[in-house]
Amino acid sequence: MKKNGSMKEDDAMLMHQLKRGRVKALSGLVEKYKKQAYFLALGMVGNADDAFDVSQEAFLRVYQSARTFDDKQPFFPWFYAIVANLCRNVLKKRQTVDSRQVDIDEVGYLLADDGTPETELLEREEKRKLFAAMRKLPFADREIINLNHFRMMSYDEIASILNIPRGTVMSRLYYARRRLAELMEEDERHAMRRD
Amino acid sequence: MQCDEIKELLAGYQDGELDGAQTAQVREHLAGCEACRTELGRLNKVKEVASKVQYKDLPLEVWEGYWQGVYRRIERGLGWIFASLGAVILLCFGLFHLVRDFFLRPEISIFAKLGVAGLIIGGAFLLVSLIRERMFAYHRERYREVQR
Repeated sequence: MKKNGSMKEDDAMLMHQLKRGRVKALSGLVEKYKKQAYFLALGMVGNADDAFDVSQEAFLRVYQSARTFDDKQPFFPWFYAIVANLCRNVLKKRQTVDSRQVDIDEVGYLLADDGTPETELLEREEKRKLFAAMRKLPFADREIINLNHFRMMSYDEIASILNIPRGTVMSRLYYARRRLAELMEEDERHAMRRD
Repeated sequence: MQCDEIKELLAGYQDGELDGAQTAQVREHLAGCEACRTELGRLNKVKEVASKVQYKDLPLEVWEGYWQGVYRRIERGLGWIFASLGAVILLCFGLFHLVRDFFLRPEISIFAKLGVAGLIIGGAFLLVSLIRERMFAYHRERYREVQR
């Protein structure tokens, strides 16, 4: 596995080539970051089709905006900002659709199988609550939960990507988790009233 | 430390991202504060559920065809640029001939020609102003997109 510094140099070289109009350099970046782009978007938009579309559109934006890229800066935070903005646009467009209920089948379609069928059913219900709550979170909270929990990034990595201090990552995570807990508890209370 | 200050450290405490002194402070506070212990319990539940979430990967053939999808988007973008450019050139060419023929026809009154000239000059000013405004907005938009 390559070291971080070497990866940054590779990215800088590919962006340099892309600025000179070599489309092949973009294919190098696509190969390297396509899965990250897709899963980052999936955590934020919660839908596989939209996430796939966002990830491909993000690479098109990289191609179109390559000239504005600052060679002295690392590639990934710049690229992440593009992905996050596209996700924000998708969520804005489907604000009305977002308020609908999240059902178990939908969660099952997105998540990897694990455990026995019995434990899986219970866990799936908990995950459904989490997904339903995630949909109601403001974008900034959803973003930090996605980076920390679903992409398993450290505080330092998140701080570098979002260009915020490490302490802000910590407090933003606290408020996001608290809001998520409140929403999940609310969902539970609704379910109990329905029963 | 007050509860509000401790709460802002709770996520770091859960994730093992605090230094030794901060961890000791939080631990000491939690030992004597039931409200913060309850809060930590709620956060732990969220963390526990979220840690079990693992997204399904897409089939291999989707990833194999991924670059072609991006490339098609680039091609289509270039296609639209050239098609739009061609349409603008043809439109300008047609308009130029139309206007030139209009002004060269002697049977048309000088007042009508002056009126049309005014319309064209005014329209050109409005168009330039609109393009400048759009370009300014576009640059600001692009800046917002790539900066945080």
